[in-house]
Amino acid sequence: MLSKKWSVLVAALLVGTTLLTACGGAPQVVTVEVTKVVAGETVVEVVTATPPPPPKEMRPNVLHLNFGPGDVPTIDPALSTDTSSVQVVDDITVGLTRLNEVSLLLEPGMAESWTVSDDGLTYTFKVRQGIPWVRWNGSAVEEVLDCEGNVRYVTANDFEYGIKRTGNPGTASDYAYVLGFAIKGFNELNGAAGWSDLTDEEKQALVDGVAVKALDASTLEVTFTTPAVYNLNIIGLWVAHAQPKWIIEGDDCTEARGDRWTEPGFNQSYGPFVLKEWIHDSSLTVVKNTLWPGIESSPVPQIDEIQWSMLDASPAFAEYEAGNLDSTGVPIADIDRVKADPVLSQELTIAPSGCTYYYGFNTSKPPMDNVHMRRALSHALDRQGLVDNVTKGGQEPAQWFCRPGMAGCPTMESHPDAGIKSDAEAAKAELKAYMDDMGFTSVDQIPEIVLMYNTSEGHKRIAEAIAEMWKETLGIQVTVTNQEWKVYLVTLQEDSPQVWRLGWCLDYPDANNWTREVMAIGGHEETATQWRNETFTALLEQAAVEADPVTRQDMYAQAETILCYEDAAIIPIYWYTMVNVTKPYVNRTYSQHGHESHEKWSLNLELE
Amino acid sequence: MGRYVIRRLLWMLLVLFVISLITFAMEHAVPGGPFDREKKLPAEIIANLEERYHLDEPYWKQYALYLYDVLVPRITTEKPLSMMDETMVNIKLGGKYYLRWMNFGPSYSSRSRTVNDIIREQLPVSLQLGLLSMAVALAIGLPMGILAALKQNTIWDYLGMGVAIFGVSVPVVAMGPVLVWIFGVALKWLPPTGWGARPPYLFFFVPRDLFTWNFWRYALMPAFAVGTGFSAIIARLTRASLLQVIHEDYIRTARAKGLSERVVTTRHALRNALIPVVTILGPMFAAVLTGLFVVEQVFGIPGLGRYFITSITNRDYPVIMGTILLYAIFLVIANVLVDITYAWLDPRIRYE
Amino acid sequence: MAVSEAVVPVRRRTASLWADALFRLTRNKASVFGGSLVILLVLTAVFAAQLSPYSYSDQDREQTDAVPSWMTALFPTIKPYAKLSGQFPLGADYVGRDLLSRLIYGAQISLSVALAGPLIALFVGTVYGLISGFFSGRVDNLMMRLVDIMYAFPTMLLIILMMAFFRSAFSESEPGTFAYLMNAIDRRFGGMLFIFVGIGITAWMGTARLARGQVLSLREQEFTLAARAMGAGNGRIIFRHLLPNVLGPLVITVTLAIPGYIATEAFLSFIGLGVNPPTPSWGSMIADGAQAIRTYPHQAILPALALSITMFAFNFLGDGLRDALDPRLRGTQ
Repeated sequence: MLSKKWSVLVAALLVGTTLLTACGGAPQVVTVEVTKVVAGETVVEVVTATPPPPPKEMRPNVLHLNFGPGDVPTIDPALSTDTSSVQVVDDITVGLTRLNEVSLLLEPGMAESWTVSDDGLTYTFKVRQGIPWVRWNGSAVEEVLDCEGNVRYVTANDFEYGIKRTGNPGTASDYAYVLGFAIKGFNELNGAAGWSDLTDEEKQALVDGVAVKALDASTLEVTFTTPAVYNLNIIGLWVAHAQPKWIIEGDDCTEARGDRWTEPGFNQSYGPFVLKEWIHDSSLTVVKNTLWPGIESSPVPQIDEIQWSMLDASPAFAEYEAGNLDSTGVPIADIDRVKADPVLSQELTIAPSGCTYYYGFNTSKPPMDNVHMRRALSHALDRQGLVDNVTKGGQEPAQWFCRPGMAGCPTMESHPDAGIKSDAEAAKAELKAYMDDMGFTSVDQIPEIVLMYNTSEGHKRIAEAIAEMWKETLGIQVTVTNQEWKVYLVTLQEDSPQVWRLGWCLDYPDANNWTREVMAIGGHEETATQWRNETFTALLEQAAVEADPVTRQDMYAQAETILCYEDAAIIPIYWYTMVNVTKPYVNRTYSQHGHESHEKWSLNLELE
Repeated sequence: MGRYVIRRLLWMLLVLFVISLITFAMEHAVPGGPFDREKKLPAEIIANLEERYHLDEPYWKQYALYLYDVLVPRITTEKPLSMMDETMVNIKLGGKYYLRWMNFGPSYSSRSRTVNDIIREQLPVSLQLGLLSMAVALAIGLPMGILAALKQNTIWDYLGMGVAIFGVSVPVVAMGPVLVWIFGVALKWLPPTGWGARPPYLFFFVPRDLFTWNFWRYALMPAFAVGTGFSAIIARLTRASLLQVIHEDYIRTARAKGLSERVVTTRHALRNALIPVVTILGPMFAAVLTGLFVVEQVFGIPGLGRYFITSITNRDYPVIMGTILLYAIFLVIANVLVDITYAWLDPRIRYE
Repeated sequence: MAVSEAVVPVRRRTASLWADALFRLTRNKASVFGGSLVILLVLTAVFAAQLSPYSYSDQDREQTDAVPSWMTALFPTIKPYAKLSGQFPLGADYVGRDLLSRLIYGAQISLSVALAGPLIALFVGTVYGLISGFFSGRVDNLMMRLVDIMYAFPTMLLIILMMAFFRSAFSESEPGTFAYLMNAIDRRFGGMLFIFVGIGITAWMGTARLARGQVLSLREQEFTLAARAMGAGNGRIIFRHLLPNVLGPLVITVTLAIPGYIATEAFLSFIGLGVNPPTPSWGSMIADGAQAIRTYPHQAILPALALSITMFAFNFLGDGLRDALDPRLRGTQ
C-alpha cells in the first residue's frame, strides 16, 4: 500500500541522514587492530587512534573585483589611458620607479638604484637582472624563451624599446605626451609633423634622437629636459614600462602579433601578476606570477588570482551584497542604507582619492568677464552643504584646485586660508560690486548664464543643487543643460559655455600635474577658460624646479590663491573620496594614486 | 511565391544600402570624433591617428572604401597584415589562396579587437537573450490573451489584462533592480549578473551549454524582465484580434456545422486571429534587440546592445556601422519572413 | 382573423457611426471609469500649479530624501536610516524637492509625451498605411520599403544621434536662423520639442505597417466591393469604409504604445537627453528612483504607480473605444 511505501521511504531517509551526519560530525575515535611481530611472536594489539580533524573549509585564494562598465580598452602600456587599463598594466609590469600607494613616496622599481649627473639632467639607472619575461600557457606560468632556448630576462633594452615605441607616432599613443614633459628628444619624435611622409632614415633619426639609451643589459641612461623633482615620477609611469619587442614586431622564431600582442595567449609580461584570461566586455583574470622574485616595493603576491568583472555601479553593489564581489564602490543612492546597516557599515571605508571636482568659467563671455561676478558665484556655493546632503560621500570641500597630498600642494593644515571659501555674505557683496560696475539695478539685467555638464546622473544632481544655491543666495537663475561626453569635449574646446563642469585626476602625484598642466598658459583648459595670467604661469614654472619643499608649497599656495580667489578663474568644489565596501576577510591597502597595489593584499582563507 | 521572395530579397539589398548611407551621414554630422579626449591630444598625434584610420580623406572616399571592404569578396594570397585587414569570412581555397569577404574594419576604441571580433563574440549573446525574451513574451502573452478573449468580461479577462498592463508600464530600468534584489541578493537563488555562455558558439549564436542549468540560471531574470513588457502587447493584441474574429460569420458557420468548440477555436479562429500578432513579431524582435541595452547594463550581460551605446558615445564609427548593418540585415530578413508567413496564413493575400 | 399587433420592429433612429459609438462607449462601465481617470489626469496636469503644495524646483537641502513617518510603516526596511519629516506629504527627493509636487507637475510632461507620440504615430502612420495598403502594387512596395528602411534603424541610435545633433547643432546657432528659432521653442517647452520630434520620427512605422496589413485584409471583403459598386470613389472608400474597421486594432496598439513612449522618454532622461532639470517627468523620476530602489523604494514606486494608473485608464478607455467603434457590433448593444 501507499502508506507502507512512504514509511519505508521515510525510514530510508532517516537512516541515510543519520549516516551522513555521522560522517560529517566530530572526529570519531577509531579503533584499529594492528598485527605486529615482536620478538618472533605475532602479537595483535588493539590501538586506538584519533584521525586528524578534517581540514577546515577554506575559501579559494581568489580576489573578485569590479572595474566598472565597459570593456578594458587595452592593456598595452603604450596605449593605456583608462584607469582599468593602467591598473592591469601596473599589476603585470613594473616601472623603473614605483610609487608607494599609501605614502606616495617614490621607491625603486625595476631600477634598483640610480645616479644623477651634476647638472641634474642625466640619470643612469641600474636595471635589476634575473627577472624573466613570462606568459600563461593555458595551465601554468612559464618563462619565455628566445631563439636559442634561453630564458628571456628583462633588460634595459626592453625599457628603451618601450619608451621609444610609446613615442613613435605610428603607435599613436594618447598618453605619450606626458613623457614629453620630461625626456629630452621625446617631443621631437612624438610630435613630428608629417610622419608618414618621412623617409625611413629620417624616422630612425628621430627615434634615435630620444635621449634614452641602454648602455648594456643592466644600464639605462636617460637625459631629461629640466632638473625637475618629478622626473623620477614620470619615468616610472606605465607608458615607460618595458615592452617585449619580439612578440610585437616578431623575430626569427616568434611570429609578430602587432596590435594583438595583448590578447590572452600572446601576452607576455614580467611583473607580480600574469594575464590568464580576458573575456571581452565580461571579465579579466590575472594569476600570481610564480616566477616573480619580489622586490621591496612590489613583493611576491599573496593572492593566487584576481578576477575583475565589468559591471555598472549598481549591479556591482548587488553582487557585493550577494557575496560574489570582495570589494566595490558604493553608489550614492545606497550610501544612506550602508551607513545604517550593522554589517555594511563595518565594511565601509571612505578614503581620499586623487581627484578634484570643479566648475570652470569662460572668462571671455559676459557676465563671466567680470571678476566680481565670478567670485560671487564661487562664494555663494555652499560646499559643505553639498557634500553633506547631496554627494554624501565624505568628500572634502575644496578651497583650491590641486589635491592636498600631492607633492607641493598646500593642505588645510599648512595653508588654511589659501584659495577661496564658501561665504554667502561675501557673495552678496561681490554681486553688488558687479552690479555697481555694470550700472545694473536689478538681477534681471544680468545676461543669461548657462551651466553645462557632461551627461551623468551624479553631475546632474550636483548641478541642480548648485543652481538652486545661486538662486537662493544671489537671486540669479541659471539655465542648466548637459551634453553627451564627446560633444561636450568639442564644445569646451571650441566655444565653452559660461560655466562648465570638469574633474581632474592625477597622472602623477605632484602639484605640477595639476595647476601647471591644466590651468597655466598652454595647459589643457586654457581654451575653455580663456584665462591667461602670465604671473601665474611664471610662478608655476619656478615652482616646478624649486628644490626646497616648504618654499615650493608656498609658491603653489600663492598660485592657487591667484587661480581661485584673485582671478577666480574656476570654482573648486570638492576633493574626491572613494567610498568603498570591502569584505572583512580582505586585508588591503587604499591607494592614494588611483591604482591599487594588489601584490600587497591578502585574504583570510578560513571560512568562519 | 518564389519570385516574390526573390524580389523582396533584392529590395532588401537596396534597403541596406540606403541605411548604410544614412548612418554614415548621421555619424559624421554629429560633433565629436573618436579622438576627442579630455586631455587634448597634440595636433600631430591626432593627424597621425586620423591618417591611420583614413579619417583625413574626403567623406565620399571613406564611404566608398568602407563599402568596398564590406561588399567585395577578394581572393588573396597574403596573410592579413594588420587588424584592419581582418575579415568575417576567410575560406582557404587550396594552395595559398584565400577567399576573404566582409571586412567591417577596426574598432577605434579597442586596439586589439576588430569589429568582426566584437560582433562574433557579443552579438550572439544579444541574439540569445532576444530570442529567449521573445519566447517568454509569447509563452506568457498568447495564453493570457486567448484566455481573456474566450472569457471576455469575466474576472479572467480583467485579471489577465491587469497583469499585462502592469508588466508593460514598469520599465525594465525599475523592474530589473527589483528582480536582482529579490532573487539575487535576498534569496540568492539566481546570480545577480552575468551570462552563462561564452564564445565560441555553434551556428554563430547557439551556446554550447544550452541545455545546462548554468546557462538558464543566468538567463532567467533578464529574459523575464524584458519578456513581461512585450507579453503585454502580445496579450492585448491577441485578445483584441481573437475577439474580432470570434464574431465573424464563418465562425458561426463552423459552430453551426457541429464542430467542437476546441476545433472551432484552434483551427479556424486562432489561425486568423494570429495574423496581426505575426505582423508585429518582426518589428517586435527589432524593438527587443535594440532595447536590450538597458537589460544588459542592469544585469551585466556582455551583449552587443550595451557595447553599441558605448560605441556611439566613443564615436567608434566602424562598430556603429557594423552593428547597424547587421541589425538591419536581421530585421529586414525578419520582415521578409513575416510577410511570407502572412501570405501563407491568409490565402487572400497572395502576390503575383 | 386578427393579425397580431405585436412584433412591430422597433426602429431606433439611425445614428451615424460616431454617434452610435459614443452611445456604446458610455454604456461600458470599464471605459467610463478609464475615461474619467484620464479626464482627472488631464485636469491635474492643467491645474498643477494650484494643486501642488510646493514648487517642483524648490530645494531643501537639509532634508534630502526625507520621508513622512507613515512611509516607514509601509517600507520597514528604511527605518534605520530614514530622515523623518512631516513637511513633505510623500517625502522629498535627492536634493530635497517635494515628491508630490513633482508628481503633479510630472503629469504635464508625461501626458504631453503620452499624447503627442501616439497622435503623431496615429495620424502619420494611419494615413500612410491606408494609402499604401489600398493602392497595393508598386505604390505599396515603395512605401513599405521606406518603412523597412526606417524600421531597420535601431531606434536608440536614431534618437541618440538626433538628440546629440539637435542639442549641439542648434544650441550654438545664430539668432535669426531656423536653428535658433527651433532652439528657442524647445527651451520654452523645457526641452520637450526635440523629444516630440524624436519620438514622432521613430513611432509612426508600426502603425503604418499594421494599418496596411489590416487594409490588405479588408479591401477584399464584400463591403468594399459593395461600396465600389455603389459608386464610391477611392477617397470615400478609404476614409468612410476602411478607416473605421482599421481603427480598432490601431487604437489598441497605439494606446499600448503609450507606455513605450513614456519609457522612451524615461530612457532619454536617463541618458540625459530628456527634459532639462529641474523640470520633472515621471520617466526621469523613475530613472532617478531606480538607482535608489533598495534604499528608498518609494522614490521609484510612486511615479511607477502614477504611470500604471495612467496606463490602466488609457487601456480601459482604449478597450471601450475599440468595442464602440467596431462596426460589426453596431446595433447590438
